[in-house]
Amino acid sequence: MGLQENIREKGVLGAAAAQADDVFTRLTAGIDAGEFRRMLQGEPPGRPNPRLKPHSEGFLLHIKPTYYHESVTRFTHTYRLGLLSTYLFIVETITGILLMIWYAPSPERAYVDMILLLTNIPFGQFLRDMHRLGAEAMVAIVTLHMVRCYLTGSYKPPRQFTWFTGVLLLVMTLFLSFSGYLLPWDQLAFWAVTIGTSMAEAVPPAVVGETVNLLARGAPDIGANGLLRFYLLHVLFLPLLLILFFFVHYYKVVHFGISLPADEEEVGEDTGNRVPADKRVYYLPDVLVDETSFLTVMTALLIVLTVFFFQAPLENIANPQSTPLHTVAPWYFYWLQGLLKIADKFIAGVLLPGVLLVLLMAIPYLDYNPSRRGKDRKVAIVAGIVAGVVMIIWSWMGTPEYAVEGAPAVEIVQDVMPEEGSGLAREMGYKHLPLGVWRTDEEYDVHDHEFNELLHEFNHAVDYYRRADPDFNAPVGILTITQDQPSLKKLKWEIMWFDAEGTPGDYEKTFWLHEDSLYWEQYGWKHLFTGYVADGWKSLSGAIVGE
Amino acid sequence: MHRLYTRSPIAKIMWGIVTSLIGIITLLLVLVSENPRMEAQTLSWEGRSIENGATLFANNCATCHGPNGQGLLGRAPGLNSYYFFTDTGRLQDVGWVGSLEDYVRLSIAAGRPSKTDSQWPEVMPTWAGQYGGPMRGDQIEHLTNYVMNWRESALAQTPDEDPFQPFEDVFRPTEFQNTAFLLLSEEEQAAALEEYQARNIRSPQEIWESEACFACHNLEVNQVDYAGQNGPNFADLHERAGSRVADMTAEEYVYESIVSPRAFVVETYEEVGQMPENFAEKLSEDEIQALVAWLLDPDREVTEEE
Repeated sequence: MGLQENIREKGVLGAAAAQADDVFTRLTAGIDAGEFRRMLQGEPPGRPNPRLKPHSEGFLLHIKPTYYHESVTRFTHTYRLGLLSTYLFIVETITGILLMIWYAPSPERAYVDMILLLTNIPFGQFLRDMHRLGAEAMVAIVTLHMVRCYLTGSYKPPRQFTWFTGVLLLVMTLFLSFSGYLLPWDQLAFWAVTIGTSMAEAVPPAVVGETVNLLARGAPDIGANGLLRFYLLHVLFLPLLLILFFFVHYYKVVHFGISLPADEEEVGEDTGNRVPADKRVYYLPDVLVDETSFLTVMTALLIVLTVFFFQAPLENIANPQSTPLHTVAPWYFYWLQGLLKIADKFIAGVLLPGVLLVLLMAIPYLDYNPSRRGKDRKVAIVAGIVAGVVMIIWSWMGTPEYAVEGAPAVEIVQDVMPEEGSGLAREMGYKHLPLGVWRTDEEYDVHDHEFNELLHEFNHAVDYYRRADPDFNAPVGILTITQDQPSLKKLKWEIMWFDAEGTPGDYEKTFWLHEDSLYWEQYGWKHLFTGYVADGWKSLSGAIVGE
Repeated sequence: MHRLYTRSPIAKIMWGIVTSLIGIITLLLVLVSENPRMEAQTLSWEGRSIENGATLFANNCATCHGPNGQGLLGRAPGLNSYYFFTDTGRLQDVGWVGSLEDYVRLSIAAGRPSKTDSQWPEVMPTWAGQYGGPMRGDQIEHLTNYVMNWRESALAQTPDEDPFQPFEDVFRPTEFQNTAFLLLSEEEQAAALEEYQARNIRSPQEIWESEACFACHNLEVNQVDYAGQNGPNFADLHERAGSRVADMTAEEYVYESIVSPRAFVVETYEEVGQMPENFAEKLSEDEIQALVAWLLDPDREVTEEE
């Protein structure tokens, strides 16, 4: 019907309303304004259901099922972990593309670009923090998603292949996260990735291992080529691969339907995609509203966590000549690092992870128990819990807590003023470090609470190693603070001791601290805010007292 | 029976709206704090750079420039020094037109040649990787920032506190190797030098050696090595000097040739013309007279160096 005819028939306002409704219907791929209002009011759909149209006409919704079984839409059945994983991937893509604007993958530029991002780009730190937090959250959520599917037995027929692709997606998520680790080109990145890629070297025979290592690093050691390769893996190859497998995975999820809670179907039955009419919950509007509101809550949570509780670390620039004291893998590879401490590189770094991965993928094909109910799967559930506990123990062994104790004197200084990161001394800051010589075997009457805390910690560390190490007797720690330059203090830590035979030993480590220095633990909005509050309070109390 | 989806979705939409607002407010907080944050971070990275520079300086530079940058006589000049940081100090003396920061950066990166005539015979090595040194570009930056961070304390030094540092091609008497001398006006410097010369009259042979006359002139007839090729031989000066220029005694001729060397150039040396023209300032009147007499003395005695 032409516009003129329309106006003649309904008047100007009526025609405009009809036109607007038409536009609305096109945008929603088939839902008109009246239907939209009825959805919001919670009214049931008419027959035939007009709310199915967007699924058949629109691209985005054709991916989603039109209805779910009521039981699987319960939050406590899936916790929406799969949805959240997908959403985090989208968050990572968006923040990642934005970060690419200010990043060049070369050793000359990468670290400088990090600093420029932090110092010169509005929201630069926010983007970086969110990308980092999102990546770590994605690893955690994908893992939890797998744990949930394991515990509900959702991998059982007919969903074996869904599980298989899910494990592949987990591996890709881990690699994606790990490949991004190198890009800031700081000490943390460089050494974590050096250790990670060195495991590939252990693949037998030697020629294969060396080739794999060479391919990953682009040279015998990580350098310009290695950085470029990890960058391309991170921004191109792995995301594309992950998207491909995501669609395979999700197609299977839609095809078979989400598995019902085990006690709602017969043992050995699968009724996930046979939904009786009275159990159907339609995607529009109920599930859509549910998913959207859930993701909105998660987005807000992610923003709040990023701004107030999380700072992406940035250590000193990568230095192939100097290995930091405690080199650690990212937390999701702690278990692997723990294994490497107790077994040789081939067994711990290649054989065991490989066997574990194959076992994980093969679970649905090995588990012949037809029941998905917890009480029938005692062995599987206990095995799962044992595996989880073993993972946690291995992870603990991966931390510096386990079996990497260095010389006591080195550890003491690392405790109060580590090589990387802030530590107590830097956290207190320049103004709380009075010039002078401070010994652990003497008492001082200093009226600075924070400095007293540092001296106490220093004392405590010296005392701890005196008791723990028979080769560390009558130790004395001396901290000498001098003014090296304007706004620059020099902190010389000196430890002297006697070993078991009475031979004296000593150790010295010097650090400088500038008045304006912040280490990444001090970056957050919280730090800025506490600074403001302290300053504001000072000027306010000053005004009241009349200074 | 779970009947989670029978109720109106309004509650969930409200949840969404409330949390969106929380997210937006948080982002607004970030927005308003971005400028101070970036400022604090910029200062922080400058501070971190200075800390790194301090470590590099202690490990690589302190052996020559001193742990506190006060320099080491005969090895490397002081950097934590008024003379080094003041506009009319080092930069002017070396004829550098750029900023001090650029001078420091370039000197660290590319090194500096030795000054054989001065008190700095040691070569400053090249440090930047691009010139064959051991350091990366960012390390050169850290060191530069560290050295420049002395500015405040250096400019607060009194001339007495300023460590030893002149950086000149000419060897100045030790007495004047200090900032106090450099801060005098030109006339005052000249007066001080004159007064010094009056106090310290050198023998003709000392002048011959310390002013490097021997580099171009010879005192013996048969000497045919390179020394002396740039200037006339003085072995028979007492025979020739009187007849060189009409109306001039031998003494007048030699005196004139020392204070204004371009006045009478011996024919075959016209092309060379290297004789410095500042001996009138560097030598006192008495010294010149003694030198003239010594050069014209047919029986002059030259004591051999040990």
